[in-house]
Amino acid sequence: MYSIIVVPPPTTEDQSTRTQLKLAPGERLTFGRSADCDVEIPHKGVSRRAGEITAQGAFWILSNLSGEQTYVVENPEGAGEHMKVGPGRLDAPVPFEFSRIVLPAAGDLLAVEVWAPRHDYLRSEGGLDGATTAPAFSVDRTKRYFAVLAALCEPRLRGAPHAPLPTVDQVVDRLRPNWPAASRTSVQWNIDYLAVKLRLKPGPDEADTGPRLNGKKESLVSLALRFDLVREDDLVVLAASPSGRAVR
Amino acid sequence: MTEPYAVPVPRGYRVGVWEVRDPIATGAFGSVYEGRRTGGDLAGTGEELPRTAALKFLPTGTGTPRQLTHLRELIDREVELHRRLKQPRLIRMYDTLTVDDPSRPALDGATVLVLEKAERSLSALLSAAPRLAAGPVLLAQVCEGLAQLHRAGWVHGDLKPANVLLMKDGSARLADFNMAAELEGTHAYTPAFSTPDYTPPELLWSEIGTRGRQIRPSADVWAFGVLAHLVLTDSFPLPGGTPTARRDAAAAYARGTDELRLSPQLPDIWRGIVRDCLSRTHADRVGTDALLRRVTEAAGTDRPPRLPRRRRRSAVIASATAATVAVAALGYGISTWADTGGGTPEVRSSTPTAKVAPATYGSAELRTDQGVPAAYRPMIVDAAHGCDQADVTPALIAAMLKAESNFDPKLSDPGKDEYGIARWTPRLLRWWIRADGQPVRSMPKPPLSVPDSIAGLGHYLCYIEPNLTPDLPGDKRVLIAAAYRTSYKRVNAAHGIPPEYRDYCKRLTQYLKEYTPPGSW
Repeated sequence: MYSIIVVPPPTTEDQSTRTQLKLAPGERLTFGRSADCDVEIPHKGVSRRAGEITAQGAFWILSNLSGEQTYVVENPEGAGEHMKVGPGRLDAPVPFEFSRIVLPAAGDLLAVEVWAPRHDYLRSEGGLDGATTAPAFSVDRTKRYFAVLAALCEPRLRGAPHAPLPTVDQVVDRLRPNWPAASRTSVQWNIDYLAVKLRLKPGPDEADTGPRLNGKKESLVSLALRFDLVREDDLVVLAASPSGRAVR
Repeated sequence: MTEPYAVPVPRGYRVGVWEVRDPIATGAFGSVYEGRRTGGDLAGTGEELPRTAALKFLPTGTGTPRQLTHLRELIDREVELHRRLKQPRLIRMYDTLTVDDPSRPALDGATVLVLEKAERSLSALLSAAPRLAAGPVLLAQVCEGLAQLHRAGWVHGDLKPANVLLMKDGSARLADFNMAAELEGTHAYTPAFSTPDYTPPELLWSEIGTRGRQIRPSADVWAFGVLAHLVLTDSFPLPGGTPTARRDAAAAYARGTDELRLSPQLPDIWRGIVRDCLSRTHADRVGTDALLRRVTEAAGTDRPPRLPRRRRRSAVIASATAATVAVAALGYGISTWADTGGGTPEVRSSTPTAKVAPATYGSAELRTDQGVPAAYRPMIVDAAHGCDQADVTPALIAAMLKAESNFDPKLSDPGKDEYGIARWTPRLLRWWIRADGQPVRSMPKPPLSVPDSIAGLGHYLCYIEPNLTPDLPGDKRVLIAAAYRTSYKRVNAAHGIPPEYRDYCKRLTQYLKEYTPPGSW
């Protein structure tokens, strides 16, 4: 029942698989240099108790417990969108679905990532009324993950129901016109995030196959098509736009 | 009803033998209109058709703005359920039609379900007249509908006031089976749609497989608890001004960080029922059969409200197991409920919730550093939380276990006929294991199980508390413990702790002090 995921800065040991800490609404997590913190950031430039993250429903709040450092919370997909949380500021609400808390630490910038995959988005057919039957997931059609999902679904939406799914490299090529920085890693990251966001249940056949992801892509696409998360008219997000800003 | 109609159909439009009259309602997926029969009175199946019906239009045509693959699936579910199940408390479906009208692209290809016409929905009635006097009776009828569905092996999946329809005679029927699913073993798979205020916490952000999400009948039981609270008190059981706030409150409650605080307006007899519907985990929720018995009793009739007698026995009922003896009785209008027979599933409570590490479970009310064995903490805390008497606390239960057996589940004292961690006498424990006050079928045998002993202790203490004379001198919790050792009558008669139990109570007081966190009492 978690609503927030915190990904601490990579340590030397686990460069490949970064830890994810899941917080349910109301749960809090402290970070800082001291070993008492839930997330220990062993860097001289970081305060002993640097800050606190609290999950608050679908969003989260940040407290800056340091004496003098201002933290910047960036939206990595937001074209420079960011907010500043000054020293001593408590419980500042953060509105982004993806965030990176940047801690200035003696010349280095350390990043703690925080995801809020439970953000809600209005669906065309539903209102805000709690008595309306609503789908269990909502996606932001302006986010990169949606473009990745659309690219994965594209062959089947274009009328070939049993078409093989595009490979990660093909997805990268498809998205590059609108997203020049697209790479294997970033597309892969978005696929993993989608699995978290859509709460994909791991299939029995992928229980111990480790990093193999074919099953995950397949399940994502069948879920997305079954519940009309991506429709044919959504494929416009893949079309190259003159300004290059259609997909951020 | 300010939202635009999902499927606009002009008045006077003809489909099959039906003429469209006034709009009745619209939902997220389709719209319902009143239909008047203009032609023959027999359906294709030879069934007699009523003069008016409710026509539910679902936009499935190729010319409709969006081709909705999931819509097809939702309709198939509804039609399938209607074909397979005809039960007195479920709305009837007479026919399905497809609109063939190329001149109207928005309607062409739409599916039309011809349904029994109701007067209004419960939600319309509630907004016109909250806390209606007929509330308990309507709830009993809703519960019957659920029992009919569950016994036939289906889950409704979207129970809420808008989906409860009231007929001309004022009786209630369940409708809208878009989310309904047939059970496969203990689960069914439903499309991943839900109504936030009626969704049980375990489904709030549950995992979703490619077949949809897994749902159990206990999801309908939760929804019934919410509905009952709403009907009886005109408020939701979980606090919050918006569905989102209430969803977060449900999540906090399910995690054990928050308590369930039901409205003080809720009559006592319903309080227990709603609480057992809204248990934190699905496993603790009261079963549908037990629920129906209690709801029927609370509604003031000692037998289910009268039902139209239906002599026809549907194939589904015939193929059901012995557990559904009761349904046949219901369908035939027999009203023997006293003997519950052998088929009723037992409702046991206090399965420890495993989500939180046991060592810190309930640390706000039970200290973690005083040697209460971690494995028992969840059971102790849940047993106390199952009781809404403020004096039955986790610390009290833990202190009693310490005083009775020093947490020894193997304790055996045949001389006094007392066994296990709570020194239960088996023939007494039998009556206290279940949350609903019914004895378990077979006599518990030593060694007595720890979960049963602790759950039973919780239920029994909860029964003792209101039976003690108010204003007895001394700590109420210690008096409760003394009453467990002897009886509440003894304690009341002695006007306090009887002399021979003073030593026991002294030890207990000491443990209570040790186990209660500072500031929580």
